[in-house]
Amino acid sequence: MKKPILSIKKVYKSYMVGGQTIKALNGVSLDIFEGDLVAIVGKSGSGKSTLMHIIGLLDTPTSGDVILNGKNVSKLQESELATIRNKEIGFVFQSFNLLPRASALENVILPLTYSKVPKTKWEDNALEMLKIVDLLERKNNKSNELSGGQKQRVAIARALVNNPSIILADEPTGNLDSKTGAEIVKKFLELNKQGKTIVIVTHDDDLAKIAPKKFVLKDGEIIE
Amino acid sequence: MITELFLTAFKSLASNKTRTFLTMLGVIIGVFAVITLISIGEGIQNFVTQRFNSLGSNLIFVVPGRINFRDDPGAGYATNKLTKKHYNLIDTYISDVVSDLTPLYEIGKSLTYKNKNYYSVLNCTNENGDKAYNVEIAEGRYFSRNDVLSSSRVVVIGHEVRNELFSNQDPIGKTLKIDDKTFTIIGVAKEKGGAMDQRSYVPYTTAEHIFNSTRYSGIVMKAKSPELVDSAIKRIEQALLRDLEEDDFTVLSQKDILNSFTSILSTITIGIGAIAAISLLVGGIGIMNIMLVTVTERTREIGLRKAVGASPFNIALQFLLEATSLSILGGAIGVILALITTTIVRLNFNFDATVPLWALLLAFIFSAMVGILFGTYPAVKASKKDPIEALRYE
Repeated sequence: MKKPILSIKKVYKSYMVGGQTIKALNGVSLDIFEGDLVAIVGKSGSGKSTLMHIIGLLDTPTSGDVILNGKNVSKLQESELATIRNKEIGFVFQSFNLLPRASALENVILPLTYSKVPKTKWEDNALEMLKIVDLLERKNNKSNELSGGQKQRVAIARALVNNPSIILADEPTGNLDSKTGAEIVKKFLELNKQGKTIVIVTHDDDLAKIAPKKFVLKDGEIIE
Repeated sequence: MITELFLTAFKSLASNKTRTFLTMLGVIIGVFAVITLISIGEGIQNFVTQRFNSLGSNLIFVVPGRINFRDDPGAGYATNKLTKKHYNLIDTYISDVVSDLTPLYEIGKSLTYKNKNYYSVLNCTNENGDKAYNVEIAEGRYFSRNDVLSSSRVVVIGHEVRNELFSNQDPIGKTLKIDDKTFTIIGVAKEKGGAMDQRSYVPYTTAEHIFNSTRYSGIVMKAKSPELVDSAIKRIEQALLRDLEEDDFTVLSQKDILNSFTSILSTITIGIGAIAAISLLVGGIGIMNIMLVTVTERTREIGLRKAVGASPFNIALQFLLEATSLSILGGAIGVILALITTTIVRLNFNFDATVPLWALLLAFIFSAMVGILFGTYPAVKASKKDPIEALRYE
């Protein structure tokens, strides 16, 4: 039987806001397998961002388990989570989050600087990723010299550079026009075809339609 | 990793040059002030030591009054009781351990040659004066025992006195006037540098006859060896106490005077240096302030770095390196400015103001410490930022 890359088991997450407990996730369980293209959808306040943060190891659950590649990561220290994030998770954000003073190449190299990959291989690896996203010729351009679509492609290259188990995309087309958004979607489909596991978190039903597997969240629970 | 963090730190500092420079200014001024003051202080000490040592070695001075380096050093001269009797006491009782004994009158007088005047301090001694004060003769001779016994109106002039009054002429055998009395120049002292070149030398007996001097400015002698200095001082004190009270005189060795002077100067140098170091602290506070602003400005970057794998330690180290780079760079600029200033001082003033190696090391350590001390809080603050909140920061 195929083992999941990531298992979320009965995860609860609650916050204290103004002396009141807010339940963001209410016993969520899901499995993500290698090569999956998954969409996590839900309206604002449904808990999808909290779930994304837990899948991305940026947050830990109040209770429940997060198993990544067979290892329970739900109770690790921040520095241990940082190491796992660096190796196993590639983030693509809605607002790109590129370093403004750095070139496209330097932005792609960023995750490598926190990895164990030897420095001699950083540039080659990053250039390979820029080639995948068709941005090799813009490698020396600063991020403010790139268009929105190009910025997002640099972000995808950055997410790929450490060859992570999962690429986690948070509203990846949210800041792009429809034509550029379609190009990014096309890129995700290509990557998935090459075997990459991709999780897209969105409230956009059209974007969610590209994913064969979909989790719909409502009030902190998966409803379908 | 460290190389990358340093590169990131320098890129970040270079991206806002004006802010970086203004932030460093406090450290630049602090390091510059501390090093320059220490160097000039050391230079003055070296200058004084050199000049003092050029007088000779093992010198012992008996001066009127009790000198303790706290009260007015001139007070003893007002009630001066030192006379020939005390010179004779020393000569009688301790000539076995001291040599080149001479009475001394120090009198400021105007020397006139034709229409030129030069104000010179007259060192009025016996025939041992040249040996006691290490006066070397460039032209002519020092005065003899006969000159002293006969109260001859002869004078040996200092190097600068000669230059001012005689320029290119040969002064030997020429006469000049002191208080309208005619003196024959019998010698010129070799150049020594400083105030010694402005002095002239006259037999003390002549001073007694012409200037009516009766109370010695001091009695000067040399211990026969460095080991004998301390015992000689004790025996001089015992000898003089036969006729004088304890508060009537002070016996000082050359070393005592020099030590007292250098100790006073060291205290002043350290004191001024410490005041200047306050600006280093102010510079440190400036660094902390700007680093806190930087941490807030770069909150999203911190969030991103954490998301792609930076640990809290990586983030703290990055900001700490930035703060330390600022302070070390500021320190380096301060050192360079101090080196330039001390070189200018050395070339324009006649003393050796060099930057001591320990002051450079101290400046480096201090600058680094300022960076570490004042960079730690912003760095820790950055490292503790929640990546989720940081990524949302607008």
